[in-house]
Amino acid sequence: MRYGHTEGHTDVCFDDTGSCIVTCGSDGDVRIWENLDDDDPKSINVGEKAFSCALKLVIVNKQCDVIVICSDFMIKVVEVTDNSKQKTFRGHDAPVLSLSFDPKDVYLTCTTSWLLLQKCNDVINAKSICRLAWQPGSGKLLAVPVDKVVELFRRETWDSQFKLSDASITQPLNVVVWSPCGQFLAAGSVDGNIVVWNVETQQCIERMKHEKKYSICGLAWHPKYKQIAYTDTEGNLGLLENIGDVEKPNDKVASAVAKDYNDLFDGDDDDYLNGDGIEPPSSPKSGDNEDDADDLMQPPGHVRRAVIDDDDDNSLDIGLIKASSALLEKEDDGDDQTGGFSALPPSSTQQPFYDGPMPTPRQKPFQPGSTPVHLMHRFMVWNSVGIVRCYSDEQDNAIDVEFHDASVHHATHLPNSLSHTMADLSTEAILLACESTEELASKLHCIHFGSWDANKEWTVDMPKDEEIEAICLGQGWAACATTALLVRVFTVGGVQKEIFSLPGPVVSMAGHGEQLMVVYHRGTGFDGDQCLGVQLMELGMKKRQVLHGDPLPLTRKSYLVWVGFSAEGSPCYVDSEGIVRMLNRGLGNAWVPVCNTREHCKGKYDHYWVVGIHENPQQLRCIPCKGARFPPTLPRPAVAVLPFKLPYCQVATEKGEMEEQYWRSVLFHGHMDYLSKNGYEFDENAKNQAVKEQQELLMKLFALSCKLEREFRCVELADLMTHGVVNLAIKYASRSRRLNLAQRLSELAVQKASQLAAAQEDEEEEEDFRKHSGAGHSSSATNWGQLPGRRVQQDQEVEDAEETDACEEEDETPEVHKEKEPNHFSKGVTSAEVITPKPALVAPSGRGRVNPFKVSSSKKDPVVPSANVLDNMTKYSKKTSLSGSRAVNKQNAPVIKPLTPKPKTKQASAASFFQPRTPATNPGEKTVEEREEKAGNESQEAKVTAQENTENRRPKTGFQMWLEENRANILTDNPDLNEAEVIKEGMSRFRMLTSEERMVWTEQARGGKVSDSAEDKKRKRPVSEEDEVKKSQEQKSEDTNVSKKSKPLDPPTNNRLSAFAFKQS
Amino acid sequence: MEPAEVEFLAEKELVTIVPNFSLDRIHLIGGDLGPFNPGLPVEVPVWLAINLKQRQKCRLIPPEWMDVGKLEEIRDQERKEDTFTPMPSPYYMELTKLLLNYASDNIPRADEIRTLVKDTWDTRMAKLRLSADSFVRQQEAHAKLDNLTLLEINTTGTFLTQALDHMYKLRNNLQPGESSHSQDF
Repeated sequence: MRYGHTEGHTDVCFDDTGSCIVTCGSDGDVRIWENLDDDDPKSINVGEKAFSCALKLVIVNKQCDVIVICSDFMIKVVEVTDNSKQKTFRGHDAPVLSLSFDPKDVYLTCTTSWLLLQKCNDVINAKSICRLAWQPGSGKLLAVPVDKVVELFRRETWDSQFKLSDASITQPLNVVVWSPCGQFLAAGSVDGNIVVWNVETQQCIERMKHEKKYSICGLAWHPKYKQIAYTDTEGNLGLLENIGDVEKPNDKVASAVAKDYNDLFDGDDDDYLNGDGIEPPSSPKSGDNEDDADDLMQPPGHVRRAVIDDDDDNSLDIGLIKASSALLEKEDDGDDQTGGFSALPPSSTQQPFYDGPMPTPRQKPFQPGSTPVHLMHRFMVWNSVGIVRCYSDEQDNAIDVEFHDASVHHATHLPNSLSHTMADLSTEAILLACESTEELASKLHCIHFGSWDANKEWTVDMPKDEEIEAICLGQGWAACATTALLVRVFTVGGVQKEIFSLPGPVVSMAGHGEQLMVVYHRGTGFDGDQCLGVQLMELGMKKRQVLHGDPLPLTRKSYLVWVGFSAEGSPCYVDSEGIVRMLNRGLGNAWVPVCNTREHCKGKYDHYWVVGIHENPQQLRCIPCKGARFPPTLPRPAVAVLPFKLPYCQVATEKGEMEEQYWRSVLFHGHMDYLSKNGYEFDENAKNQAVKEQQELLMKLFALSCKLEREFRCVELADLMTHGVVNLAIKYASRSRRLNLAQRLSELAVQKASQLAAAQEDEEEEEDFRKHSGAGHSSSATNWGQLPGRRVQQDQEVEDAEETDACEEEDETPEVHKEKEPNHFSKGVTSAEVITPKPALVAPSGRGRVNPFKVSSSKKDPVVPSANVLDNMTKYSKKTSLSGSRAVNKQNAPVIKPLTPKPKTKQASAASFFQPRTPATNPGEKTVEEREEKAGNESQEAKVTAQENTENRRPKTGFQMWLEENRANILTDNPDLNEAEVIKEGMSRFRMLTSEERMVWTEQARGGKVSDSAEDKKRKRPVSEEDEVKKSQEQKSEDTNVSKKSKPLDPPTNNRLSAFAFKQS
Repeated sequence: MEPAEVEFLAEKELVTIVPNFSLDRIHLIGGDLGPFNPGLPVEVPVWLAINLKQRQKCRLIPPEWMDVGKLEEIRDQERKEDTFTPMPSPYYMELTKLLLNYASDNIPRADEIRTLVKDTWDTRMAKLRLSADSFVRQQEAHAKLDNLTLLEINTTGTFLTQALDHMYKLRNNLQPGESSHSQDF
């Protein structure tokens, strides 16, 4: 058996002389094979695309000049000699399932959907294809497979003569075919059984089973020999020889089942598996060619009465076509046939048959990103570096190397005199390998174009009887796995390095950086499963084995089709079911399915051929292949990008979606931890963004759970958050009057803080730290993040404070709260613009204690700031997702700028209260640093002007400038205040200013930056408003716009008003 | 408007290319382009595609409609119908010309495509002339033609309007001429 066509419907027949086999498949090709071993069948593309799915069968009539092709509702007749002449018969109103030429060339019979079967609109839906057949020679009988029996009809009267059936047939029959002598009838069933009857005796003389149980859809007898060629729906072509040594047709049991049964089924029948086109058997001469070709048999005697129903469902007359599909009424079933058959001991016809789990043939070794070796034009490798193609026609045997990035190396054309079959490509070298021939040993050939000396190539011969089965390239090394179960490692310059044994025959291997991944057979799989193991080693400075031959999880009944690394270095692989899995180093090196490419396929037989995986940005690069597993070299295939999606439950819901996003983000940024652990460089920025994105998602999930009153779930979520964000969550909880939750969260926060503190006991540098927390933490949680340190010591106080808070909160109208809740997220964006001074922070620090619950109630305008905090997050996330890094930079700036000075004010005033704690945010710290860099410009400028504020050598902040101007006012109002109290009072006044005014101050403090950032703001606003509109209903946004506009008039009242409007809407 | 201007407009159409270089997003007045990853298809305006192609910095992926089968269908349809059929792209002619001139090595069966598009174009131009002819003959006041592309309008637009002007003048002159004659008498 061998691969003949792509999956889908196929058909087969011999030509009259038996010299060649003709097959056709759903790919629209007709192939003419000399014999089964013919590696180079003549292909004729009959159908264009329209045909490809509908091409149903080819029948060559006696004169061999007409080929009939039915596509769906039409029958086309093509004259072989002249392609241009096509006749079309229309008129069927059900799909044509099957047709057949009458031996006398008078009738062309066709079946349409049977009433017996389900009527259906498409051939694909039909359970059985009902391939009918005329008795050759006399043409007296027409055999039609009807469900599980074969009915025989008499010519012209269309009476049912008798039926043939067999106990082994459990599924509907697809195909029937007469032997050329007309004596035997073979039938193939949907579940892969082939049964041969002697028509005269109505006895079953042969049974066999398709190993993979694929549906048999084409059968053909050899005109001279006792061979049956068959095709299945997976596109394989097979040959069955020595059909029941039937010299004596009356032999009850033809025991000689195809002798080469084993040979036939030795190979596996999927294109990938038997990529190199195995199939030993079947030289046509071997058949015991008796001469029964001529002894036509008479139709059997007993005539069964049948009712022919010529209604439109079954049959149609078109010109010379007499459709003869008959509807059978039930009463006539052949009891005697069944009787006759039961006389046969059914078991005796079958070989002793093992019915347990069957071992799966082991999949052959392959190079990731290559197409099967037997193709004349094939990809030897297609990876993220480039493409290696191999041409092996008569005139040319060459290898073409092409690089995606022309700056790596120019495209190369190499002669392939050694007939290399394996290749790998990296940015340093091309690695090729060939199998051994009689004279030559198996060779590894490396073209090291990255070399700076003149010798760019080296070759290594394998020892005798050792064949290279898989090769790969890493950074600075090459490796090959051989039949001796060895893995040999070389440097890219050709020095032999490590060598080690594999526990089993290699399947494939891949390299990246200093990592080497080898997949091999751990054992024998059963029932279609492969049993693979994987080793992952690091060949760098410290050599170690990460995966010690762990089992490689594959989808059931699938095999490996691609293995490699993501561009960032995470091991990945793809199985034949299209599931992409990636190693999750954060989960004890477990494999996580990250994408199902089949979900994206349009057709059943479409596939995606993976060529590369990128984690940042998350891209699965692959080539869509229509009706095939791999692409042809021409026309040049185009790469498509698929998104990743973890198979989480209920991703249609908001919760599921966010959960999926969160874990995907965690998974796809796991490589950063790995890289940093191994001392590689990586993009800090990207990492911070990832952390931020994850925390945002958690916060959204938290809010969602809050809304759904799932407080326990909230705590669970908070457990995943970083410390800073937990504080935000506390704030959110307290704001939405979930005091129990807030309390639990605060316990959690304390716990986290102490963990953190313990973790970084030795990191003292408080000065530094303060600077960080001051500079940065941008809009969000971080101001809160500073507090927890103190919270530890104040834990007791929290509780009593909470009571007061509770009371205070009672004061607020409850319905306002209720309404406000859902708005936090949906609407937040509207007020995101307003940079409020985080009143909560300042006041408590003045008092020297912090109470997170205090915040909402003690401040006059609780809503805006909180919404603000959250919104900055949401907005941020949105934008980042919308447009890349640039957008982030753009809108980061304005958010940060006004904030930078603020913490300083706090520090100025509250410096005395701050213990050298290292309180918050270990994770946040990096964010801070980076933030500060960004804010660097302005802070540097500001530093120039900084003088008085020597306590912590900080530039003057907006608040300080404001304070200088307004100190007199404060003092006149409250003459008896001391310095600290003045500052405190000043702060509370400063906070009462609108954000715009404060901006002005902060800008002044920064000096000269005003116009710039104002512009930024202007730019930014339209965007945020757009978002807004998208997010909330128009009306809402109008409300808020109005409120925004009116704000400058009377800051405090307006704030309150707007907040109210905000809540109301 | 001149054909060159029409071509200029057509160059704003997006096509897909596969770059062989790596470049971050570039920010232009007309919008951001990129990022360019080697081997990964990206959409760029035709002018950039041609520029990159000329410098051998990319491979062009022809637009979906630039395919012999589809164009044959379009041509046949165009021939069958009396009215103008919708074209696959409002700049089909310009794009065909530009892409085939500069990137014919990336377009399979380029010559056939050129012929097919030319055939379609000729059919349409014939229709256009025919309708202009009948418009003038029947002395209609207005006519409406759907599915014309800019370049097609351009080929006859100036000429037709001027011709109509002239005819109008001629016709007007004919009658006043008579009346003036009578005045003379």
